[in-house]
Amino acid sequence: MVNDSGQLYTMEGIAAGLVMLLTAYLILSTTSIYTPGDTHIPDMQLEQLGSDVLAMMDTPDLEGGENQLVNFINAGDGNGFRESFLEYCNATTSGKPDTLHMSANVTYRGEDDQIKEHLLVGPDETWTGRESAVRVTRWVQLDQQSTRGDPYRSRAQAVLVEVLLWRA
Amino acid sequence: MACMNEDGQWIVLMGLLVAVGLFFLALIINQSALVGQTTAEGVLEFPKNDIRDLRSEIFDYYDRYDDLTDSERQNNVEDIVRISLERMNAVVHFWNGTPEEITIHYNNGVTVYDETVYHY
Repeated sequence: MVNDSGQLYTMEGIAAGLVMLLTAYLILSTTSIYTPGDTHIPDMQLEQLGSDVLAMMDTPDLEGGENQLVNFINAGDGNGFRESFLEYCNATTSGKPDTLHMSANVTYRGEDDQIKEHLLVGPDETWTGRESAVRVTRWVQLDQQSTRGDPYRSRAQAVLVEVLLWRA
Repeated sequence: MACMNEDGQWIVLMGLLVAVGLFFLALIINQSALVGQTTAEGVLEFPKNDIRDLRSEIFDYYDRYDDLTDSERQNNVEDIVRISLERMNAVVHFWNGTPEEITIHYNNGVTVYDETVYHY
């Protein structure tokens, strides 16, 4: 029969070993602190939300109807664009609206084949908060139109709307 | 330690096992912050929205293909190709065999996308 005296010493030894391992693990892991923001999950959700809102604004209500996004660009109406975009983004099913902020610019090909950017919506006076900003884009077809506001040319053209979106 | 009372060792042993079990459960909770990171990074890296948007833009262009003059067509294609390269970091090339048969090529260095589609 095996002599089972001294079991308590064995257990004490195992417990001490575990405590030492745990201490080493805690000390080594303090060099990097992992926060939920590092997982990029909110970034992914924000990017999807922004893309969906731009796609919605780029879709006419009716076949051959007016396209909201094209109208804002043609009119150079940055304020109108910001208000509708943020209204769609910040809508929640219940409770207080979300606190998203945005800035936007439009990239187009000007004279001499130069790619130029036009600031459509300037950034507001808010900090970006804990999470990083994401960039969402949407291609827009503009028809030939001589009354289009500066700086785009009057020819039919494709421009790229870029929106920077962040939660404050 | 000659006088040490060695009764109840099984109880102490079970207590130790429970403590170790709780420690591992705490480790699992600690790692739960990582859940979804790979998924989120995969979604962010794959340019799904960019490609879908590019497709719909190209289809928009071919929808109005017949209304455009030759120089307008050329300008439109040039817009998409050059702005894609400059602002989307993507090499884009597209052409049509017949007006309905459209071939699209997209490459942003990580994801390559090619398709030939019949669009009416």
